[in-house]
Amino acid sequence: MKGRFVISLIFAFMTAIVGSAYTADYPTKPITLMVPYPAGGSSDVGARIVAAIAEKQIGQPIVVVNKAGAGGQVGWTELARQKADGYFLGGINLPHLLTAVLDPERKAVFKAEDIVPIISQALDPTTISVRPDSPWKTLKDLIEDAKKRPGQIPAGIVGYLQDDEIGYFQFAEAAGVELRRVYFDGAAPAITALLGKHVDLLFCTVADNYTQWKAGRIRMLTIMDKERTKFYPDLPTTAELGYPTVISASTRGIAGPKGIPDPILKKLYDVFKNAMMTKEHMDRLENAGMPVKIMVGEEFVKYYWESYKVAKKWVDHVRKK
Amino acid sequence: MEALQYWIQGFAVATLPMNLLYAFIGCVLGTLIGVLPGLGPAAGTAILIPVTFSLDPIGGIIMLAAIYYGAMYGGTITSVLVNVPGEAASVITCLDGYQMAKQGRAGPALGIAAIGSFIGGTFATLALMVVSLPLANFALRFGPPEVFSLLVVGLSLVTGLSGRSLLAALIMTLFGLMLAMIGMDPVRGAPRFTFGIPPLYDGIGFIPVVMGLFGVGEILLSMEAPVLEVIKTKLTDLLPKREEWKVSTGAIGRGTIIGFFLGIIPGIGAIIPTFLAYAVEKKVSKHPEKFGTGVIEGVASPETANNSYANGAMVPLLTLGIPGYPTLAVLMGAFIIHGLTPGPFLFKERPDVVWGLIASLSLGNVMLLILNLPLVGLWAKLLEIRYQYLYPGILLFCILGAYSLNQSVFDVGVMVAFGVLGYIFRKLDWPLAPTVLALILGPMMERALRTSLEMSGGDLSILFTRPISAVLLIAAAIVLLTPAVRLLGRRAGKD
Repeated sequence: MKGRFVISLIFAFMTAIVGSAYTADYPTKPITLMVPYPAGGSSDVGARIVAAIAEKQIGQPIVVVNKAGAGGQVGWTELARQKADGYFLGGINLPHLLTAVLDPERKAVFKAEDIVPIISQALDPTTISVRPDSPWKTLKDLIEDAKKRPGQIPAGIVGYLQDDEIGYFQFAEAAGVELRRVYFDGAAPAITALLGKHVDLLFCTVADNYTQWKAGRIRMLTIMDKERTKFYPDLPTTAELGYPTVISASTRGIAGPKGIPDPILKKLYDVFKNAMMTKEHMDRLENAGMPVKIMVGEEFVKYYWESYKVAKKWVDHVRKK
Repeated sequence: MEALQYWIQGFAVATLPMNLLYAFIGCVLGTLIGVLPGLGPAAGTAILIPVTFSLDPIGGIIMLAAIYYGAMYGGTITSVLVNVPGEAASVITCLDGYQMAKQGRAGPALGIAAIGSFIGGTFATLALMVVSLPLANFALRFGPPEVFSLLVVGLSLVTGLSGRSLLAALIMTLFGLMLAMIGMDPVRGAPRFTFGIPPLYDGIGFIPVVMGLFGVGEILLSMEAPVLEVIKTKLTDLLPKREEWKVSTGAIGRGTIIGFFLGIIPGIGAIIPTFLAYAVEKKVSKHPEKFGTGVIEGVASPETANNSYANGAMVPLLTLGIPGYPTLAVLMGAFIIHGLTPGPFLFKERPDVVWGLIASLSLGNVMLLILNLPLVGLWAKLLEIRYQYLYPGILLFCILGAYSLNQSVFDVGVMVAFGVLGYIFRKLDWPLAPTVLALILGPMMERALRTSLEMSGGDLSILFTRPISAVLLIAAAIVLLTPAVRLLGRRAGKD
């Protein structure tokens, strides 16, 4: 106990002399914010919005670079091996990052603990969408029909082992149904297939279907959350409908490599939190159909590891089959 | 009516000063590329993609599209003046165009080509505008099985129609499909054929491959070519004589129709419409024996057809997301790099991009007419630049461009390796188009097939029981089997 105290004293002293240059003055040079998806996608848009606001407060440019590839894995591999000096940060998406680490098929070379969550920006719950003329008016209709013909109803899933499929697994388990899963590469082709009647329902998030819903092209049966979303105030949640274990979302945030010194982390918490609380940030994200959810530091770290547990359960579930 | 409204919207986008500037720069660069023998439109667009990175998506795509049809125009100039086509679609123009130039009539040949291209391009753009919206709506009926079968048709056409040897074309298609398998499994994300090399996780980059095969490969080959003899001719009178106008009007009309409709079918390529237009002209002509000696309709019709084709080929790209031609595959790559996926949804989600592009095509045709008619002499001057000064610069530009894609030296290596391969394939006379199209269509095909099988629970019959899909597969079989059957018939006849 005493030893640790001495060590921390020494550390504090050293930081005071040597480190003052890089902690107290941080940042003294531009910060890179890596987005592991292509430019123009919703992750990219979100990162650019917050970077533009935060750089005014932090006094150094925040440069957004895209390191797309392998469903985010290329960028996260890069993030995990960067120097933890606060000058290289990256966007993370949950559970995508976690399933990439957990699924042995993906052969990821980094671990979940190599990346430290800093702040979350958006929490985008999974929904079940259908065509407006669908015979299922409520979730109950769907469940009853699905029980009559297990494994027959084609259901679109946006992304293998991502939030939409985890939402499906939870729903299938809780309601005791089985659907025929059809995977799509992103929301646009999935919604095309739903409208073209190639699948009869679709698991996708609010940001995925908001513009389509506004245009009246789709309707939703439920949203997998505890509370209703302000985007669809009339849409009942899974919790309300009696399935409180069906909670799934795609969560987006900013993270850094493991080992960023505390003073720098604190500064980042403050800067990004202030930037995200601005009206400009809120409005611009809302227009893009992205539900803002700000979890800072510890709170986001906790959420990260809870999501890890959920992701592990379903990755193991798939591997067992 | 809806289309008209969108079109006006598109014009508002296309006439923004910056977008006009991008279209203009694209037209100039495109014509330049078309004029330089050895650099075709596919190579040109591929080499210039990195330049458009810093632009916004609309500006970037407008510029690339302008390069594409600018090159179509430019290719004519070399066909007429030096009897070397600047790009494949101008091959047939050499027949009568060069003869006209020898008779001192290069001016009218280039003039009618520019006018015909303008008319063909403009009409095809109008037709594109009319058909694309209903087609995009129809495309919603195309589910994964239909998409898969349509891609099979496209690849069969490219394979069946390119090159003299069906076997070589098949090998090149399969080579492209194999390259397309490298990288992550499109559904489950597991790395395949990557040999633990991290840059391969994302597959072999399409743009470096095209820059290598077309750009570097062509430059390597051009180094062997002798210095070209340019016909010195006065380019004062560009307008054809009165009686030539009469025959040209019909030729331009027929060329427009042939070009546009063949453009809609993915995989035909730009050469066939020009040959067909030439053949039709010869058929309907009162003096077919004069073809090849410098008749103006032999220039007017194919030149019109190739520009009309260029616009028609935009239809499958924009409505279905299927590029029917290597240059369009490059253009599709540019869409994707800019975060846009061509297909029916692009019409709904980014009407500004789609209609801005369509409107800029019409504006570009006007720009090219202005650029080509008075400046034809200037372009011809460029032909006199010696290769040894020109090509090192272009090579350097390629290397910088490949690096700037992802700041990756690996991409530069890929480009150089495919440059050497491109040179070898050209020497062997093996067609490159099938490889390039298979590389970009391969992942789409794999995904469509797997999604189809997920829909049917693993039952392959879904491809044959859905009517549209079944018809498409039969069409593909006919395309591929016809040459084989003919060959067998010929062998049997010999025995």
